[in-house]
Amino acid sequence: MRYDHVTDMIGDTPLLRLDPAVHGLVNIDLYAKLELFNPFGSVKDRAAWSMAAPYLRQATERGDTVVELSSGNTAKALAVIAGMHGLPFKSVTNRMKVPEIKDLLLLLGAEIDELPGQAECLDPTNTEDPLTRMHQLLAGSDSGYLHTDQYFNRRNIGAHVHGTGPEIVADLDGRAPDYFIACVGTAGSSAGVATVLRHHDPDVTVVGLVAEKSDFIPGIRNIDEVHEVGLFDPGHYDSIETISADEAIDGLLTLVRRCGILAGPTGGGAYQGAVRFLSAVDAQLTERRTAVFIVCDRVESYMSYVRERRPALFHQPARRHSTRTITAEELARAKAIDVPDAQRWIAQEGCVVVDLRGPFAYQALHIDRSINIVDELFAELVHGGLPFGRRQPVLLVCPVGEKSARYAALLTRMGHPDVRSLAGGIIAWRDAGATLVRD
Amino acid sequence: MTPYLVPRTEPLLRSALDQDALLHQLVDALGSPLNVVLPGQLAENLAGFRAVLDAHRLPGEVYFAHKANRSSALVRELAAAGAGLDVASLGELQHALGAGFGPARIMATGPKSPPFLALAARAGVIVNADTLAELSELALLVAAHGLPRVRVMVRLSSFDSPGVNVMSRRSRFGTPVSQVGAALDLLEKHADTLELIGMAYHLDTMGLPEKAAALEGCLKAMDECHQRGLRPRALDIGGGFGVNYLADGAQWESYTTALTEAVLGKRPPMTWHGHGYGLRNEGGKVRGTLSVYPSYRPVAGAAYLDRLLSTVSPSLRRPLATLLLDNMYDLHVEPGRALLDQCGAVLGTVLEVRDDGDETLVRLDLNARDVSIEEHGVLMDPILISRPGVAGGEPAGVYLLGNLCLESDLITRRKVFLPARPRPGDLLAFVNTAGYLMDFRADHALMQPVAHTVALTREHGAWRWCLDERYWPAADRGEAA
Repeated sequence: MRYDHVTDMIGDTPLLRLDPAVHGLVNIDLYAKLELFNPFGSVKDRAAWSMAAPYLRQATERGDTVVELSSGNTAKALAVIAGMHGLPFKSVTNRMKVPEIKDLLLLLGAEIDELPGQAECLDPTNTEDPLTRMHQLLAGSDSGYLHTDQYFNRRNIGAHVHGTGPEIVADLDGRAPDYFIACVGTAGSSAGVATVLRHHDPDVTVVGLVAEKSDFIPGIRNIDEVHEVGLFDPGHYDSIETISADEAIDGLLTLVRRCGILAGPTGGGAYQGAVRFLSAVDAQLTERRTAVFIVCDRVESYMSYVRERRPALFHQPARRHSTRTITAEELARAKAIDVPDAQRWIAQEGCVVVDLRGPFAYQALHIDRSINIVDELFAELVHGGLPFGRRQPVLLVCPVGEKSARYAALLTRMGHPDVRSLAGGIIAWRDAGATLVRD
Repeated sequence: MTPYLVPRTEPLLRSALDQDALLHQLVDALGSPLNVVLPGQLAENLAGFRAVLDAHRLPGEVYFAHKANRSSALVRELAAAGAGLDVASLGELQHALGAGFGPARIMATGPKSPPFLALAARAGVIVNADTLAELSELALLVAAHGLPRVRVMVRLSSFDSPGVNVMSRRSRFGTPVSQVGAALDLLEKHADTLELIGMAYHLDTMGLPEKAAALEGCLKAMDECHQRGLRPRALDIGGGFGVNYLADGAQWESYTTALTEAVLGKRPPMTWHGHGYGLRNEGGKVRGTLSVYPSYRPVAGAAYLDRLLSTVSPSLRRPLATLLLDNMYDLHVEPGRALLDQCGAVLGTVLEVRDDGDETLVRLDLNARDVSIEEHGVLMDPILISRPGVAGGEPAGVYLLGNLCLESDLITRRKVFLPARPRPGDLLAFVNTAGYLMDFRADHALMQPVAHTVALTREHGAWRWCLDERYWPAADRGEAA
């Protein structure tokens, strides 16, 4: 398929029927609307383009900055769109909670303003919400801003009224599904799609999913925050249910491992919420029904989010040469020498002094003629084998002599005959009054 | 579901609150309000912070931020336990010296009056300098009186951050990090009177990224010192580690949800005059920000410090603790609220319980300045201590009125739910209030009395009490003879 503009590729995403063997629903065909197929990677491409497109010409003439309150996919899509039109983009956010997205936004050329955290000692007069602060920023500035205002902008809903909703109906041969389940972030996609489906069939059941308050799910608001959203209207939903971060990750795993859909946690939450809701309905049914949920974006940006909550999923195979396998006996056998002996040894034997601290600290002060190999790097080197000859005596140095002792034990196990650890580390060296230099 | 906010109480505090006969006797004798402090809890709290430093192999000192509580018993107990003390006024410095802190363990912080600075210099305590002008003033003072060199730290502010623009509220304290050069010029000039031992920051925020950026800024400032041949070796990262006030996170979550619904008019008001704690209803949408302390904080105190130290520095790419250790720096911390976790309670007598329309009003013999939970936005329920031998009534939702003849004097604007309707003569205990919430603001408005403070100690299972000013750790433990 040929295109002239990447923005023409927004929308017309696939609707995929999921294998009943995976979700276990007997009487319901469950479809995933694969919004991760949008060109910038998420459902927000639609809203971003819908909100920005009509104003881009004027913004370009005036040299405006595009600005949005977002720490996720809307910011990503707007950063791309702004960049393509030669406009700067600024994202204002409480906190960038997903590091990969932060790096991606910086890569795309976005400027990110993180608002201050809450004061430890309460200042009751400080009651500004991020949106108010942003409006102050926009009002107080001389230069122009194109503020897309995703939480209040009707064009956000419009993108789904004219795109996502009709696409679903068309793909189901002109019929609305019986159930539609969506996560509520800006409420744009859920409200927009719900409007279209209800228009086709007033009996469609719409379920909105919000996050539990104890943990966050990227792109979903919790039950309190949802009331701050200008586009949120409880009337659009037959029921509002909560979903936990844990459930969202369960859903993500099912989608990525069993369905071939590389969905992020929001899509995972929608799947898990859909199956939970529909399982209860399924048991009562005697005829076939259809249900649709939205997969918002892709999994790759959420590695650290998942790792933080499910470290076991990233379990690495044991390393061959690793200090983690050092036994207490090996550690006791490793040679350690105190500061006066070390000074003599360095002077007489010309041993290599390897400083395992970080380069920042090494630059500040170190033992004369020592070599800096930061511990992470040293671990990598040792993994591959001995990083120096057996006839070369080595003195290992770390802050307090613990890390260096473990490496001395490991190198001894690997067959090095004369590797020693500086007892008490460089702190003992300093406290003994021995010389430290800056080069 | 009743919107309770049950305070978190650990064994020692819980055991003290169980002594209802003793507590009633004390209030009968000494009057309401009455402050109760538990010096016996401090050792455990101090050990928690030291354990974090030890786990990261970091040498350093835990300085209690005195301003969190004026109690002599607490300060003397900390002196005996070998802690440090952060003093922020002339009075606090005198108190510290009188409690037995040696000058090496006292750090003078904050804005300083001439007498405060003079006594700090003469006593030889560490001066944590707020501004460059203060450094100059101190140098002149030391020279004029021929005093020994004074150890100083420089408090820095206005840090910048790599990658994203981490915004911080502007602080009225400290020297902008951009002026480190000027500070070092000054210190080199006054090398005979001032000895630079390190850099400091203190940010009033719960935001880890802001603190990580500040710590990184201090590391870079220390590097600038090394480039000039100066050898400071301590970083002071202040306090602000927080306290978890509530027993149950689920209560906090459902309470704040209910409050939001009340602001939207979807349920009856939960506060006096429909106060929204910063939230307001604009056309059916919630605006503003919930301006209260996050009473349930799963990561607080020493655990928060641990998380900060484990944070990877954004530009130096190693955990902050590793960077400190690599550089052989000592790490000083100044917890106030967190070090006083579980260390006390404020008791107030119920004077009157009356029904007013649909509401129940409970008038107490203390006011909002005696227990400043409302000013600090800490939402937690008091504990009812009925008069011994009196059976409790039915559960009740009540408003707590203070003893000042002022419309605004409510102990909290929340309707507070109690497991039993209080009766006149009962006590309400506002627990875990030792850090900032006790008599921080207490005064003689309307000539009402300011609370007495008593120290409660438990020895061999028996509780004993003495007036705060008469508490001395060694004497109380009966270690003599």
